[in-house]
Amino acid sequence: MKHQRRGFLKLIGVGGALTLLPTSITRAASPPAIEDRAVYIAASAGNNGDYYVSAFNASGGILYEQPLPGRGHDIGLRPNHVDVAAVERRPGLYGLILDRHTGNVRAKLHCPENRRFYGHAVYSHDGRYLYITENDFDQARGVVSVWDAQDGYRRVAEFNSYGTGPHELHLMPDGEHLVIANGGLHTHPDQDGRTPLNISSMEPNLSIIDRRTGKLIYQAALKHDWHKLSIRHLDVTANGMIAAGFQYQGDITDQVPLVGIWHPGGDIRPIEAPDTVQVRMRQYCGSVRFDTSGQVFAISCPRGGLVTFWDAQSNDFLTHIAAPDGCGLAATNRTGEFVGTSGLGNSWRMDAIRRKRVELPDDSHKSLQWDNHLRRMNT
Amino acid sequence: MFSKSSWRSILLSTAALLTLGITSQSAHADIPDENYQTILSHLLTSVVPPKLDAFHTATNDLAETMDDFCSDPDQSELKDAQTAFHEAMDIWQELQPWRMGPMVANGRDQHIEYWPDKHGTAARQFRKLMFDKPAAYTDPEKLAGASAALQGFPALEEVLFDDKHAEQMVAANEDGIFLCQYGAAIAINLGTLSGELQADWPEFAKAMRNAGPESMDYPTAKFAATDLYRALHEGLLIISSQKLARPLGDNAQGARASRAESELSERSLRNIEHNLIGLFAIYDGKWGDVGQEGTGLAALIDSSLLDRSFRLNWKTVSDAVADLPPSVSELYAQPDGYAALAGIKEQIDFLTTLVENDVGGNTQLGGGFNALDGD
Repeated sequence: MKHQRRGFLKLIGVGGALTLLPTSITRAASPPAIEDRAVYIAASAGNNGDYYVSAFNASGGILYEQPLPGRGHDIGLRPNHVDVAAVERRPGLYGLILDRHTGNVRAKLHCPENRRFYGHAVYSHDGRYLYITENDFDQARGVVSVWDAQDGYRRVAEFNSYGTGPHELHLMPDGEHLVIANGGLHTHPDQDGRTPLNISSMEPNLSIIDRRTGKLIYQAALKHDWHKLSIRHLDVTANGMIAAGFQYQGDITDQVPLVGIWHPGGDIRPIEAPDTVQVRMRQYCGSVRFDTSGQVFAISCPRGGLVTFWDAQSNDFLTHIAAPDGCGLAATNRTGEFVGTSGLGNSWRMDAIRRKRVELPDDSHKSLQWDNHLRRMNT
Repeated sequence: MFSKSSWRSILLSTAALLTLGITSQSAHADIPDENYQTILSHLLTSVVPPKLDAFHTATNDLAETMDDFCSDPDQSELKDAQTAFHEAMDIWQELQPWRMGPMVANGRDQHIEYWPDKHGTAARQFRKLMFDKPAAYTDPEKLAGASAALQGFPALEEVLFDDKHAEQMVAANEDGIFLCQYGAAIAINLGTLSGELQADWPEFAKAMRNAGPESMDYPTAKFAATDLYRALHEGLLIISSQKLARPLGDNAQGARASRAESELSERSLRNIEHNLIGLFAIYDGKWGDVGQEGTGLAALIDSSLLDRSFRLNWKTVSDAVADLPPSVSELYAQPDGYAALAGIKEQIDFLTTLVENDVGGNTQLGGGFNALDGD
């Protein structure tokens, strides 16, 4: 078999100072002097089994820490509203609606006894409905629950996710459809709720459903040889292109892609980094995030301690930046720029175009271990 | 070979150490970054390069021996070529676990040894090769652009150690002449690959050595040293989950020696013996006659008792492997062969646990909030 990765050696970013990007992106890059007035929010942890939702400013200064009853995961942002949704990571039981400015609890969501939350939630564009991925563990199937924010966050519906182990979900740009990463892994709370029980038979997929009816619109899976690639996280551009990050459940030395691009209606296109980077990704992707322009996307690899950057137009690998235990990613308002957080307490501003990493100057954020995902809230 | 009860007693002795309070250093002060820097510098610039030199020399010797064999093919020359293969493979198996930088760049490790071959790609392609006998495969430069499955050690193993192929080469018939020229091209290609590895290593070592805030690859020496720890940890995992688990199968009835690495050349367990030598160099800092004892990751462990315990455990396991016959098929031919191999896997898994708990904890290289427990 011809070694497949050779075709991807198209960058000078590995060990070099500057990434070769299309000139259109390079020109679009804005100077770094503009102040980012955004607030960043994420689940976090202290050193004693204490968990929070924490917010920090663009300098890294902590704004508040809201204690959680258990480890959180991602945060859903309600458009044009103070609400944010913090859902417990799998196998989760609690969901809290918090005030984005203070962290105060505004409402509580209770998971049904025969379901478990899976850590991710997203609001409809109008902010009325909240959608949460859940595990129907007795049936070994994924579901998406629907909660009416205008009716005290009442659970009003439940849709099939059309797969097992649904994880991250996003609203598609039309506002009418949800894309769901069905990771394929079956877990059961009686067996700790996290240990995969079906690796040999797992069937991950990406599914798009109608957010009002739950009807399946599109679905795509990787070829069977790659069925152990758990499709776990994703992000969507304004034009509906989806980037997904995988977590491999097979051998360390297996040569498998860890990133995929999906245009709904087509196949998932797997893409790879050059070997020296691909090996350092350690078969595991964390967060996926497009930049503000939609031209670059970043994928964190916490096991390898690096963030990889990709060209959204050509789907080529661009460069990588080391980020020890880094996982959380949020796009700033600058092309090719992201803020990243780590479990070691670090937060960086990372520029994929200049291949530059700058630590946020306020050290107060270093008192926490930052969890898998990060969101940017416009102010 | 030592008994299961004896290595379990060693496990108990480690548990006793932990009870005495010789536990992870992670609760202690951070290890200064310069301590990691010293280890990186020693391992990457003093210890590894001589081994890369030795590998390059061994592959060049292999190429010369293959050339001699093809010029005058007889049983004696074949034996010399097989011996040269084993000598080059011994060094490769020590280097193989160092899966970083130039070792993996451009798929180099896979070009040197394409294994495991889960889909039987090599056998399928080899059959086609022997049917077509394309001249390009006897040209080392053209071979370098061919399938990884047809250009490294496993392909040369098929040429040199398959009885039918050996007979054809000694007989110098049409198939034999092609096989010999193809084998010679593989050996030259291995020399080229080992030369590239040797040439590329210093720049990689420099990048690791120069870790610092300005580096986008290695912001701290500790972060760079994590790659060494990972190589040690993953090396053991690979031995267990691939080199041992594959021939073991799910049970004795499902065991297949043919699923082991290098089984045709009857050296699958010899490979593991050499893997353990290369892996222990990461911990110890001494690799054969190169380096000094206690200058690898061991230098970060501030408990001499724990260090001694780890060394003793490692030696016990590596001695047990060395006492086995060189191949799984030979071991399986013994009455308790399957149990013996399963026992070795248990011991390797035990070493993995020690690396995770003792080495990972005390060197502060094994942690990570998101890395260890992500979602």
